Amino acid sequence: MNNPTNESDHPSMYRISVDTGGTFTDVVVVDAENNVYMSKALTSLDRAYSAIEEGLGRIAKTMGTSVESIVREAIEINYGTTRSTNLVVTGKTARTALFTTRGFPDVLLLKEGGKPGPFHRLRYRDPLIPRYLTFEIDERVTSNGTVSSVLDEKSVIEAINSARDSGVEAVAVSFLWSVANPSHELQVGELLAQHMPGVPVTLSHQVNPSIREYRRASAAAIDASLKPAMQDFFFGLDEDLHSVGFTGSLLISTSYGGGWDAQRIAGMPVYSIGSGPSMAPVAALQEAEIDSATSTDRSTILVTDMGGTTFDLSVIQNGRVERTSETWLGGQWVGDITGTRSVDVESIGAGGGSIVWIDPGGLLQVGPQSAGSAPGPACYGQGGMNPTITDAAIILGYLDSSNFVGGTLELHEDLARKALAPVAEKLGMSLEAAADAAMHISVDNIITAIRAKTVSKGIDLRGITLVAGGGASGITVGRIAKELNVGEVILPKAAGAMSAYGALHADVISEYEVVTHDTTARPDFRLSMDRLSELEQRCTEFFTSLDTLSVDGSTTSVEYSVQARYPMQAWEMTIPLGSLQFASSLDATAIEELFHSEHLRIFGVREHTSRVEILAIGARAAVSTGRAAHSATFIDTETNSRSLETRPTFFGSAGWIETNIFSSADVVSQGWVDGPAIVREETTTIIVNPGQRLEARPSSNYLLHTDTKETQDHDKNDQIGA
Amino acid sequence: MTKTTRSGRRTTAPRDKTRGLEYESSATDMSVISNRLDGIVREMENTLLRAGRSAVLNMARDFSCSIITGDNRLLATAEGLPVHVIGGERLGQVMTRLHDDIREGDAFLHNDPYEGNTHAADHTLMVPVFVDGEHMFTTLAKAHQADIGNSQPTTYMPFAKDVYEEGALIFTASRVQRDFKDNEDIIRMCRSRIRVPNQWYGDYLAMVGAARIGERGLKQLCDRYGKKTVKTFIDDWFNYSERLMSESIGSMKAGTASGTGTHDPVGDLAPDGVTINVSVTVDPAEGRIDVDLRNNIDCVDGGINESETCAVNNAMTGVLNCMDAAIPRNEGSFRCVEVHLRDNCIVGRPSFPHSTSVATTNIGERLVMTTQRIIAEHWPGEGMAEGSSGLGPGFAVISGRDTRGPEPVDYVNQIFLGSQGGPGMPGNDGWVTFGNSVTNGLMLRDSVEVDEQKYPIHVAELKIRPDSGGAGEWRGAPGATLIYGPSHEEMTAYYVTDGNQNPPRGVGGGKDAAPSEPYLIAADGTEQPAVLIGHVTLHKGELLGHRLSGGGGYGNPHIRPADLVRHDVLAGFVSREAALKTYGVALIGSRLDDTLKIDYEETKRLRSGQEESS
Repeated sequence: MNNPTNESDHPSMYRISVDTGGTFTDVVVVDAENNVYMSKALTSLDRAYSAIEEGLGRIAKTMGTSVESIVREAIEINYGTTRSTNLVVTGKTARTALFTTRGFPDVLLLKEGGKPGPFHRLRYRDPLIPRYLTFEIDERVTSNGTVSSVLDEKSVIEAINSARDSGVEAVAVSFLWSVANPSHELQVGELLAQHMPGVPVTLSHQVNPSIREYRRASAAAIDASLKPAMQDFFFGLDEDLHSVGFTGSLLISTSYGGGWDAQRIAGMPVYSIGSGPSMAPVAALQEAEIDSATSTDRSTILVTDMGGTTFDLSVIQNGRVERTSETWLGGQWVGDITGTRSVDVESIGAGGGSIVWIDPGGLLQVGPQSAGSAPGPACYGQGGMNPTITDAAIILGYLDSSNFVGGTLELHEDLARKALAPVAEKLGMSLEAAADAAMHISVDNIITAIRAKTVSKGIDLRGITLVAGGGASGITVGRIAKELNVGEVILPKAAGAMSAYGALHADVISEYEVVTHDTTARPDFRLSMDRLSELEQRCTEFFTSLDTLSVDGSTTSVEYSVQARYPMQAWEMTIPLGSLQFASSLDATAIEELFHSEHLRIFGVREHTSRVEILAIGARAAVSTGRAAHSATFIDTETNSRSLETRPTFFGSAGWIETNIFSSADVVSQGWVDGPAIVREETTTIIVNPGQRLEARPSSNYLLHTDTKETQDHDKNDQIGA
Repeated sequence: MTKTTRSGRRTTAPRDKTRGLEYESSATDMSVISNRLDGIVREMENTLLRAGRSAVLNMARDFSCSIITGDNRLLATAEGLPVHVIGGERLGQVMTRLHDDIREGDAFLHNDPYEGNTHAADHTLMVPVFVDGEHMFTTLAKAHQADIGNSQPTTYMPFAKDVYEEGALIFTASRVQRDFKDNEDIIRMCRSRIRVPNQWYGDYLAMVGAARIGERGLKQLCDRYGKKTVKTFIDDWFNYSERLMSESIGSMKAGTASGTGTHDPVGDLAPDGVTINVSVTVDPAEGRIDVDLRNNIDCVDGGINESETCAVNNAMTGVLNCMDAAIPRNEGSFRCVEVHLRDNCIVGRPSFPHSTSVATTNIGERLVMTTQRIIAEHWPGEGMAEGSSGLGPGFAVISGRDTRGPEPVDYVNQIFLGSQGGPGMPGNDGWVTFGNSVTNGLMLRDSVEVDEQKYPIHVAELKIRPDSGGAGEWRGAPGATLIYGPSHEEMTAYYVTDGNQNPPRGVGGGKDAAPSEPYLIAADGTEQPAVLIGHVTLHKGELLGHRLSGGGGYGNPHIRPADLVRHDVLAGFVSREAALKTYGVALIGSRLDDTLKIDYEETKRLRSGQEESS
């Protein structure tokens, strides 16, 4: 499988997927024979295309063709980027004004209250849009959509004039109850178009049609503030690709975990937040379908993605990627909420770059601070002085330079040892024991995050499938699997580029929501046909807008849902209702039963005597691209089959063991390797602990089999004498 | 006079920072097990928060979870409300004292303020956790209920003469589950007496769920690490926590300082207000702090008395507000702090049948504010100014009849629309959405739209109130102005304001915050002050307003960097006039936007001779 099969003169239709992270850009190319090529490049900050070009360069070399011909012959390019997220987090968005209902100018400041802890001393963050660019408009709509105070156009014109004088580059409009009656926002939108032509505008009821004024205002503010830069960015990418001769469709990954065409995302750039990471669970689901012993329709899959600075975590239940309406940039409660629905990806500060330190009480700690990529871990030799998890991995013999970031970065073991030495000395431990302890604590931070995400939802970890992706996951996954005692562990071949790989198989998705205020206590309850038809029409319009996409053999589907709660409950839950036909057939008892079951599943409690309130009806429109990865063949861009080597490696209580190093080809030819073993992949290294077995699957993925007894012996012996 | 002791026996904590930890547990176990315990508490909190029903639980986050050891030592509290989690061990003591047949599958309901609980409105659910037949831990889930069957439709009754007039249903570590099944007698008692039985039962189930999630997590932990390792860890962990706390106290100067704080008048009960005396002694050599509350008035015939647990907890919170947040809060660190109380004292051990209905807020908040301010006044660089206090109209319990649906429905619930400011402290301005001095910023705020949908009310205004935060080198956060009223039928609002006569005080040259001002707006637009503590009934067209207070300032406003003052002016926190008069910062420019410039020369002139840090 290490020899490319296609020739450059072979007419081929490629599909390309690119995921741009803060540090690295992952590129995946699939050819007509379903051969998969992967590579990594450093992210370029100027134009997106430069990194794509660099990443494609290595693949083109392996294929024996040129970057231009790959692009020219591509039918589709999927693109994911953290750019919009970074713009918001670093405050580099456009100068944006907010038009609000008079009397409520501090909606972005006051947010929804809350603080991470009662005793933490923090600086209260400035609102996304400063007060001096916030303009109060005379108008008011009530909860049932009645206008209680007519829009005063004069106040709008005054606001527009002031905004113009202040050099505003974009405008967000968010009025109370615009979801119940959008007429005032629409009127202001027209006035803005008339008096401030060319300045991008976002109306809150269009970008995030849900109740809760802060969430809608925040979504509108983020969206408007991203428009100038992201529109330039996406149009620039489109332009660059076309100038190389690209004629296929450009799909941008959205926070929903599906793609949108560039035109559409440029119109609502808030949906590009989380654009890359949202695709990792898509890839995981795909791989679990191939290699899990349990049908994904009935299983719980935990998706992890461990990179240099963060550990991302998401959950798939019964074939459904868990989603959330609470994505915060800059921290829950204290940052800015996107307010929009997205794949629920939790990020914790536990990556290869996490710093190992001793707290004032003398306790060993790991992270959440990270050495990042500059200066990076001490072993990078770029001036980093703090010991990190990557340094610990080197000391333990887990990593070497040969395959780190494609062999382009030399790792210095001496620097790693020097950095960790003071920590080991303070603890009165040997260097390797300290490194092992740090690794253990880092894994435990991850375990705690996983438990937080699953235990309070009633998920039993013993029965789950873990899909571990990310360049740094190979060194920790064995320990995580043992500690959690999970049923099944899959290490995808595409681990090093999970998001990019996932985007190749993603549907094209859009979601719609209409606000209602209904209750199953109403006689002859049925969901409003008017609302359902309104949603159906919007989905149809969405499908029509995709006519230009080359999604051959694709099928469309719409899934309806409601946002519902028991009376007086503070938060609502999403209840999937399936097709239009099914949703419209449900009477009060049927909806209540669905709600009770979901409430029982998530909260462990059902109140069978209680009625249910319906706050919104939603629809998710999806175009399945039907691109199975079942027959994919992974092509390594460099041959990494080498003669059998060994290296001393430290495994806790088992101490130093002279450990075999295998290439992926070795594992494939043998069918499996038993631990202790090190498997060098092209973009990652997998540590197989003693008592574990790594099995190669026909799909090129691995299954990791664990033996939990060993874990406990290991740790009970792990006592350090005083 | 007797005193409450926190069993101040000190174990030998190593003081030499350069040496390794002298604990029996391995470095890995110390880090991992402590992390896991806090993780279990958070799992409990998430379960309770997600499944809880009443607004006071969900929005005010007026709930907490904790773990105590089988022998009743406070072990893990994560980030819970300080007023709740301190003293969990007292509840456990009552459970083990009253029952000699505790076994797996039991759960106990407790809300008795004379037996270690905070106040009657906080229902606590305790689950004893057994490992190999041994009672190793007890998990606690505590949540403020929407209603507890009081004589009036509110859980805050400042004028209740005694517990009989307060009228709450009281449970003293009553066994509410045996073999994992409810004791239906108790459930029926609650359901038939509590005004919102479904809401209560929903919250009860959420508490059971949380405590059982904790039970499961602790069993897994012992299974994973072994009982012996966990037991060894517990002792080491307390010593570690004590060491951190005593070292933190060890860096302070020795001395004793006393001071007072005054709660606003409480109707006829306390027409001149209630003044609290607090005395703080720091002993850095021993690494301990003593807080003496014994020099205070006797209990009053109203619901504003502290329960024993609240008296201790609120004084402790004042101390903890001055400490590093990284110090774990448990039996170990609390060995370093002792609160001295006396019997029949308004901030001590109440004598039965005095009511402690509002023990968690009001006088309790004054204890927090006063303690932290005294520390700030006498130990420069430590402590903080006073934060805002009280639950005025911005946090009222509203009730009435909702006629918007096909059938009229009665409603009663607490709203959390207001925003009060936090205190300035060395290195930080106050937290804007602080809430009050016992929630410390954890409180969430209601959405205007959600409240207008849930209740027949109309919110007319909610915005920052300029100049309401106390000026200072570190500024107190501003409060908000809130105006609301009924949109259909009449609405009644119960509330308990504080900080009107005695607004939050600044410290070290920092200024006081603006007072908390409830007011009424008649249908013709005329404005008049509203009652400070009590209730008002409004008809459609009438509005209830609340100018909420900010937090006190810390340090001399004249040394606050001028660019921060300019930033405050642009944020709408500080008026231009106040920038000039209070901060001595002159600004140039006619537009209130980022073209506004600092007049450095004039600022220098205004500030000359006024810049000493006091």
